[in-house]
Order: sequence, then C-alpha cells, then structure tokens
Amino acid sequence: MDAKQLITFLSPKAPRRLRVIENILVGKRTVSTLYWGMRYHQLPWLGYEKKLSRQAMDQAVHELKTQGLVNVAETNAQLTVEGAKAQQQVIQNSYQPENLNIRLVIDIDTFWVRLLLATQVVSEQAYQNGQYYPLQAPWAVKQWIKQWFRHFHDADLKTTFYDFWQSFFTQLPDQQAMFMSQLLVGHERPGETLGQVAQGLSISETEARVMATDLTCQLAKTISQTQTACLNTLLAGLKRPLVSTSAQLTLNSFMAGESLETISHNRSLKLSTVREHLLEAAILLPKEQFAFQRILTPELVGQMSRRLDDTPIDDWQFKQVEDLPVEFWQFRLLEILRSKQTDDQHGTTL
Amino acid sequence: MISTEQLYETLQKRFGFSQFRPGQLEALQALMAGQNTLAVLPTGAGKTLIYELYGAVTQQLVLIVSPLISLMQDQVTTLNVKGEKRATALTSMMSYDERTWVLRHLSAYRFVFVSPEMLSQDQVLNAFQLAQVGLLVVDEAHCISTWGPDFRPEYLLLGQIRHQLNDPLTLMATATATKHVRGDIKEKLQLPHATEIVLPVDRQNIFLDVERFEAQVDKDERLVELIATLKKPGVIYFSSKKKANEMAELLGTKTTCRVAAYHADLDPETRFKVQQQFMQDRLDVICATSAFGMGIDKNNVRFVIHYHVPSDIESYWQEIGRAGRDGQQSVAILLYQSGDEQIAQFLSEATVPQANEISYYFQQNEPQVAGDEKANLIWFYKQHHYREEQVQTSFEKRREQRIIALRKMMGYVRTPECKRQYIQTYFDQTQDEAVSTHCCSSDEPDFQLAELGLLAPADDGDLQERRQATQINWQSILAQLFNAQSEQSDVI
Repeated sequence: MDAKQLITFLSPKAPRRLRVIENILVGKRTVSTLYWGMRYHQLPWLGYEKKLSRQAMDQAVHELKTQGLVNVAETNAQLTVEGAKAQQQVIQNSYQPENLNIRLVIDIDTFWVRLLLATQVVSEQAYQNGQYYPLQAPWAVKQWIKQWFRHFHDADLKTTFYDFWQSFFTQLPDQQAMFMSQLLVGHERPGETLGQVAQGLSISETEARVMATDLTCQLAKTISQTQTACLNTLLAGLKRPLVSTSAQLTLNSFMAGESLETISHNRSLKLSTVREHLLEAAILLPKEQFAFQRILTPELVGQMSRRLDDTPIDDWQFKQVEDLPVEFWQFRLLEILRSKQTDDQHGTTL
Repeated sequence: MISTEQLYETLQKRFGFSQFRPGQLEALQALMAGQNTLAVLPTGAGKTLIYELYGAVTQQLVLIVSPLISLMQDQVTTLNVKGEKRATALTSMMSYDERTWVLRHLSAYRFVFVSPEMLSQDQVLNAFQLAQVGLLVVDEAHCISTWGPDFRPEYLLLGQIRHQLNDPLTLMATATATKHVRGDIKEKLQLPHATEIVLPVDRQNIFLDVERFEAQVDKDERLVELIATLKKPGVIYFSSKKKANEMAELLGTKTTCRVAAYHADLDPETRFKVQQQFMQDRLDVICATSAFGMGIDKNNVRFVIHYHVPSDIESYWQEIGRAGRDGQQSVAILLYQSGDEQIAQFLSEATVPQANEISYYFQQNEPQVAGDEKANLIWFYKQHHYREEQVQTSFEKRREQRIIALRKMMGYVRTPECKRQYIQTYFDQTQDEAVSTHCCSSDEPDFQLAELGLLAPADDGDLQERRQATQINWQSILAQLFNAQSEQSDVI
C-alpha cells in the first residue's frame, strides 16, 4: 500500500472509512467490513495485503493529507477537488486491475507458484537437463508438481507450454507481455524479481504487484477455460469458497426453505450469527442466488422505500425506518439489494 | 571396516574427484573407525562432502541438525541437483500431515535435515529412535556455543537428544571455533573424548582491510567508490534489512553495477531469483544481512564488505570466508564509523533478557502471544525445570560473554598490529610459515587495490552492454525458455 494506491480507494463524493479500506485489504470478513467494501467497490481486494500494517496505512494517509489531496475527519477520508484530479491522473496513468475478483474463488498465490515451477520444469526438460535448482516453493507445491510432471511427462509439454504462453502474451499489450515474461524462470534464466521488472518499467513495486496479481488472475481464468489437461490440472484443488463454509451451510438450509429459528436450533448457532451468515452470502453472491424476498416482503420493502428512496444509499439511516416493524439486519439487507439493483458491478463469479 | 581405497573409489565414482581436500579424509577415517569427530574446516573446505560420502559408503541414515530453514532447503536442493533424491528437510514450513508422512517414510531417505527445535519434539524424536540413525551431524556446530542460552536454547538439549537416539556416531562440523568454543561444543554434546580435526582458519588469499570514518556521508561515499571500482562479484553485509534495501537502491543508481538486496523478509520467489542471478553472474553485488551466505557456494566472490561491525569475530570470519573460495586474490573490507559498536552492542544484547524481565516471566504461565520471544525463552527453562537463580546467573554470564566478544571484535578494528595475526591468536592458532604476500591494512597502510589486482577493468562498458542485453522482447524470452526458434529473437 502506498499513497498512490490509497487514492484509488477514496471518493470525492463522500467520506470513506479508512478502517474499512484497511480491513478489506487485510482480509477481515466481518459483515460490516464486507458491506462497506461492497459499497466502495473494493471487495475484489479482500485479503490482498494480509500483512498491511497500521503504520503503512497511516503513512499513506499522512502523505495524501500533506499534499492537500484528502480531508480527514476522525478516521474518515474524502478526496478534495485536487485529490479528485490526482485520482483521475493515477487511474489514467497506472495499471488498473480488472480480474482481481478471481482471487476470491481461486487460491491465486499457490496457482502462480505451481505455474512458475511447472514452466521451469518444462523449460529444463526442453533442454534435456535434469540437474538444476528448482524454484523455492512450499513442500506441498513441490510434491504436487513432481506428480504432475510424472503424469504428463510424455505429453509434449514443451510445445504446449510454448504455445500457451505465446497465445497468452499475444493478446496482452506488449508492455504487459514483456513484464510477465521477465518474471518467468527456466533454463539458464533465473527470472527477474518484481522489483527489477518494476524498475525496468519505471513503475513502483506496489503497482508492479497489482499488475502481477491481476495478470495471474487473468492466467487462471484463461487456463480454467482451456481443454488441455496438463494446463487446467494446474488449477486442481485450488478453488475456494466465495462464502465461508459455515455461512454456506446456513445459506443452503435457508434456500431449502428452513426458517431462521430452525437453522439456529439445528446448527446450534445464535440467531444473530445466522443473520450474519445470510448477510455475508447476500453481499458476496450474485443477487439471483439469494432469496431476498423471503426476508424482505414486498410490503416491508414498500414501506421502507417510501421513507428512503429520496436519499442516496450511503446516507440511509436506520432511524428513518426504526418505527416500522423492521430490524436493523433487514434494513441492511435492503441496502444490499438496492446496491445490487442499481449497480451490476457487485457479486463475484468466475 | 571400510578401507581408505573404498573411500577414494566412492569419491571418484560419485563426486568425480580424485583427491580429498585437506581434513576430509582424516575426518572420514576417524568416523569409519567409530570415533565421534569434531571437524573445524575453513569455509569452502567441503564439510558436506564428509557426511555425503559417509552416507553413500555406509548406506545408513544421516541425520543433520542445521540452524536455518533456508540453509536446509539449499542443502537438500544441492543434494538433489547432484543426483541424490533421497534427501529432505523437516521444517516448520511443512504442515503437520506432510511432516507425519515424511516421518513414517524415513527409510526412504538417506539424508534428513532438521532444526534442533524440530528434533526435540516427541513425535520427531520417536520416529528417529525407531529409524536407527547411522550418523548424527551437527552442522554449524559453533551455534551450540555462540547461540543459546538466549537464542534457540534447544541447542543445549542436543547432548540429551543424542542419548535418546541411542548415542549414534556423531560428526560436529564448523568453520570457526576457538579452543574454548571447541571445548564448549564437546561438553554440551557430552562427547569430551571426540577426535578433533582442526585446520588452520586462515585464508591467505583474502586481504584484510579496515577503514575508519567520522561521518556516515563519508562512509557511504567510500562505499559507492569501492563498488564502482572493485572487481566483481562481491557481497556487502549490513546489520539491518532496511539499510540493505536502501543501499542496494543507492548503489543501483550511483554505479553501473547490477545490485540486489537479500534478507529474511524476501518472499521465496524473490530469494530464489536473487540467489540464482548471483550464482549465474547476472548480479554484481548483493546487499545482504547475515541471512545470506550459509550454503551459498560461489567460488569467485572477490570482495566482502561489512558496512556495520559484526558482534563477534566468529561471525565476521564466517562471513568474509565467502570471498575467494577459488583461491584467487580477494579482499575483506570493514567500514567502521565511530560509534558503530553501539549498534552491534544493542543487537548483540537485544536477545538477552534483563534480570527484571526474567523475574517477571518466571511468575507467568505459558506465553499467550506467539511472537513474544523472551517469554518463550523463559518458558523453555521453566519447562525444563531450571530455577530462576540458575537462569539469572546464566544470562548474567551470557551478557558478559557478549560484551567480551564485541570487545574482541573491536580489538580487530582498532589494532595497529597485523590483523591476520590478531585473528590467528584469537582462534589459538600460530602463524603459518608461508605469510601472505599482501596481508592486511595494518601491515600495508597504503595498499592499492590495483596492486592486488582487484580493480574492475577500466573499460567496464560490457556491464552496460550486459544490462541492455537483458532488454529483450517476450518472444525471445519464450524461445529461450522452451528451446524454440523465435521469429523475432534479435535484441532490440
């Protein structure tokens, strides 16, 4: 995280909660974080920088503040007019990711190590070299690639990999193709570090990391669509659930028609936890996959809408509707539904 | 009993050498005669060959206790590259299931690397008890004495662990050990009668230089000048990761050299790349912390520079030992700025708990926070039934030791007498008869790098060329990777 990256998470229209931005990057899956992360269009970044420190965050805020690009009140920040201009500049002049949401459903880090190691192994095979230093990788990944290689050993991996990378790079802008190819490791090619490639392109390491992650997501997407076994096997076992496992169980029961009370009883969960599970699912899944109408009856929606529809969603206050027979979590669910109806950028599917 | 001829035969067949390096054969003969052995051989003398060959000849399980995960991984990889597939490292990076799998299949391995912490776990120890260890190797054995009790006290348990493994034949290997440290190693491993094989620590082809500065700007300026002019490749050691990063960046912009930082914070991919680039001469200079080096086997390192004063002579000697393994003239330069010893003292004492901390932690139960190292350290002693007074005394002694160690290091920096002699006296060795032609900056205060043949060729334009040569297009990278003909493989 640096100031340039933070500016892209902020808005000139309304103050944003810095703790939400931080919690999304760190990967905290509380309902409140997820909800605001959705409102800020920041969900694809969930858990992007697990080791982000408060200090780094404060440093970035401080930098923007001293340059007059943000106004900070308590822990909320809003871009100034200058800030909005700067944001436009950053968006125009730096790499803007488009595939990060794939991170939420695929273990991208492991995928990259597998692909990098597989590429190295195939490259050495292309030179009939059996004595080389393999990439440092977790034990499990190494074992996995060993088996993979044993299985596909005779499958003309050299041509498959050459063709795959060739076609992947051809559809990328030249600079991005160059960037990614320099990271690759193989025969007499130790590969370049992210820092070295960033320097070569005169971009920051933070930006290079976004680019590498986004391109890796794109690679995963491409590979998931190929029919070639030796390639799409590289994704085997790397799928991860968009919604946490426990929330998914709650959701399954709910979608099967069980009442919240029954779910609470059967799963020995507090009613509030059941509600949180449902909110998590509603936020993360496409709206067709969640039965909003079971909780928000048309009558209730009508009543609330009359009070709220003239206000932008981010300014909705529960007190506007608290005299109605409605609880806070239902109010929040309506916020989620409206967000999804007015904006199709939410929801993550592969 | 295996004969010397058989040893030579295996040396030739497996390793392709016809001669042993000094000390190797003596150590092997001692081991073959069933003697526990302490081998003190200088860095680069080929200590690993001793146990590799022992394992190959006797066909027994060799268990190597090693201090660093990265070192273990390097060693396993090196064995793999040499064609020995039956090697593995049991580390905390493995999941519980993975570890259990390896422990259940120990008979499939010939070489297993393990940290003392891992080895002291019941599950691990039990597995090795059943597996019958043929040779126990304590690698970097000086750690037993120079580390612990304040850092990694599990090293102190090794003697007891050895008994639990049914007293296997043991090789203790290190590059640097004074008489005191040798005694300490043998005492802690409860092997007072072990055979000692001690080779001279001196490395005559390394010129020893200390330069002094009053201000940091002068030191930085000198460093830039040295890097611009010295023959590459080389390594610069720093005490902090931050400084290593900063200086790598500075040197990258102020010189034409290809420079990278290397320390424990790098992710494994970057660490691999930096290490391999350096090995393949694609990097000229590494800005490193002490995390770099153990296990790096590069022969043509021409200089090792220390930007900060190390906290003891053992570390210093170990680190400069990475220069000139090919026997060619090399140089070790220590850049000392007045007051640097305070950084060293701080770092050296930071791990030793104070008296009040010891009392405090002794009253506490099991540590709750995973990263609280001091709490964990005291907990270790509580668990092993030490009394508070014992621990207080031992740490008090430790602190004094650390202070003395640093004082000796500073003695090296300050001595107007021969630096080489100072080191030899420190390691209780006498001066060899054949004295280096060029010895040290005390003997030759006006020495010239040119005279040592350590200046980079005047026309180092090829550096620029090599830099540009990496600026190729993705088509040619792919063609090179997969040994294919590229349509567009020319350099832009």
